[in-house]
Amino acid sequence: MWLLKNIPNRELILFFVITSLIFSLFSSTFRSAGNVENILIGFSHLGILAIGQALPILMRGIDLSVGSILALVGMVMFDCYIIFHMPGYVVLPIAIAVGTMAGVINGILITRFRIQPFITTLATMAAYRGLTYAISGRQLVPESATQAIDDNLLGLFDEFSGIFPYSFFLLLIVLAAAQYILSRTRIGLDLYSIGGNPEAARLCGIKVDKMIIISYGFSGFCAALAAIVMVSRMTTSTENLGIGIELTAITAAVIGGISLQGGIGNAIGPVIGAFLMGVILVGLTLTGISTYAQPVITGVILIAAVSYDRYKYYKLRSKNSAGESA
Amino acid sequence: MDLKYLIKTIQSVAKNYRSNSGKKVISSLLKTCVVGSFLSIGLNTANAAEKKMVFIQFQPHTVSLAWSKGIEEVLSVQDDIDYQLLDGQGKVDVQINLMNTVINQGVDTIFIQPVDSVAISPAIKKAKRKGIVVITLNINATAKHAAHIEMNHYFGARQIAKVMGEKMGGVGKVAILNAPPGIIIRDQRTNGFIDGMKEYHPNIKIIANQVADWSRKKAQDVFSTMLIANPGISGVYGINDSMALGAVDVAKAKGLLDQIVIFGNDGERDALESIERGELSGTQYTDVYQQGRYAASIASVLATGNVDADDIKEQGHLLMPYIIATKETVADIKIEQRW
Repeated sequence: MWLLKNIPNRELILFFVITSLIFSLFSSTFRSAGNVENILIGFSHLGILAIGQALPILMRGIDLSVGSILALVGMVMFDCYIIFHMPGYVVLPIAIAVGTMAGVINGILITRFRIQPFITTLATMAAYRGLTYAISGRQLVPESATQAIDDNLLGLFDEFSGIFPYSFFLLLIVLAAAQYILSRTRIGLDLYSIGGNPEAARLCGIKVDKMIIISYGFSGFCAALAAIVMVSRMTTSTENLGIGIELTAITAAVIGGISLQGGIGNAIGPVIGAFLMGVILVGLTLTGISTYAQPVITGVILIAAVSYDRYKYYKLRSKNSAGESA
Repeated sequence: MDLKYLIKTIQSVAKNYRSNSGKKVISSLLKTCVVGSFLSIGLNTANAAEKKMVFIQFQPHTVSLAWSKGIEEVLSVQDDIDYQLLDGQGKVDVQINLMNTVINQGVDTIFIQPVDSVAISPAIKKAKRKGIVVITLNINATAKHAAHIEMNHYFGARQIAKVMGEKMGGVGKVAILNAPPGIIIRDQRTNGFIDGMKEYHPNIKIIANQVADWSRKKAQDVFSTMLIANPGISGVYGINDSMALGAVDVAKAKGLLDQIVIFGNDGERDALESIERGELSGTQYTDVYQQGRYAASIASVLATGNVDADDIKEQGHLLMPYIIATKETVADIKIEQRW
């Protein structure tokens, strides 16, 4: 019993297992190995995005610009490969640098001008999207629009090793790194402290501004990785890539137990949250439930997850205050 | 039947949960698993002979719903074909995931209007390797597939230029309300219109070409600004009906309706009614129900004839017939053809 109580996200894992079981009963395709492959390759990038999103949320912030960063990085890759004919091993580091920089700029804007993260990233969401249109090789060189990115390295994340796609291995690496940073390093400790109480953290001598820049930079880095995975699958990129994906990533993070009040959560939850959304989308499609009912069901699950989050938060708070008065 | 069973199961689990006995919940879940798997195995064998077809739409809108209706009309008379409509949400990644899901499910035919011609191609190639017939509607894919069925964008727009020029008396200034770049339909329609004007009415000048995002509301704003910048505009071509109707709204409000010739493209119900009221000057009308029926006919011929996608060496290409609907010809379009 003690062991059971200490599994992180146990309610979420239980919900995930039950949902998968139910769909497996009603669709023979759902329980096939091919479907496992599909879900793994189709939602690994969302898992990566959700881990990235977790850090700003842990510090009571939010990053709405990840969808636009994703498009920007995708378009940079497209331009570098199709227009400038750069090899894949040059394109990859450029892509990662662009995404991380875009995230760091978010962090700098938030800390320098003291603007709410919501407003800042809302603004950069529009700005990065506009920049994507401006640098779009598909429009500057119209005949390039029908060319595919056929580099072996850039196509790697659409390949499988057994039933596991390489994008899933990338997700596992990001997950391991993020969880290590959060639970074993000074940076992680500082993140949780700031999320719990920013003012107290500042008074303790934690460099809050530096941590904010790091967290948004990490979110941008994850968006770049997600872009690489998506470009790999599509063999091209489009200007409107990733519109609305920031909300899906935030949903996955919140379902995964990252508290919007800050300071609570781990890196594993968002990944399970992302795959839960994948399982639901694929499951509903395979069981033949109307395409219009699907967003409704996703909405209901989100409300349930957030309500549960509030419940946990208040329970924790009342427990703490009870401890203080005693 | 599946859904009913699911609801019943959930109810019974909930009931047990209320009675607060954990053991009971687990045992009832187990029971559900056993019964459910027998049930689904039974269902699967019963459905083995059935053909399955899906339509992955761009996103829900008038045209794709009319296609779907046309497809359903043809397929519903054949008992052994199961049809499902899916929502691509206007996103390439969602469409790719849906493609992979239905490929894995082993459907026989996929109808799709791709969000992006290149991005969908790896998924189309995968479908082809599995022997699945793919039929694209209006937006082609770069990977070869069974057939592409589209409205006659280029020649229709040429014809619009011809009729529009005649209505303008062969002289004047024309503005285009356009779609955002990146979709091939935009280029085909714009090029057709420009080429048509050059050929039939060289004295008509195209003085403005602006993006109004396919939207009536946006077109109102864009066209108002255009009129201020170029007061002498005597013709407008909206590359879809919504944008043309936006221009009609503005012209009506400014009392310029009798001085400006306005043409749309597609032929949706609102546009045809506007033509009958004498507001919109004309549009290219395509029977999109019929387009859906053609797609479904091709699909059912291939599926019931057990034609594998690999057997198709050349991609079929079908251009839909159209008419230029104006006040004189709009009555020819029957009520049941209007979408």
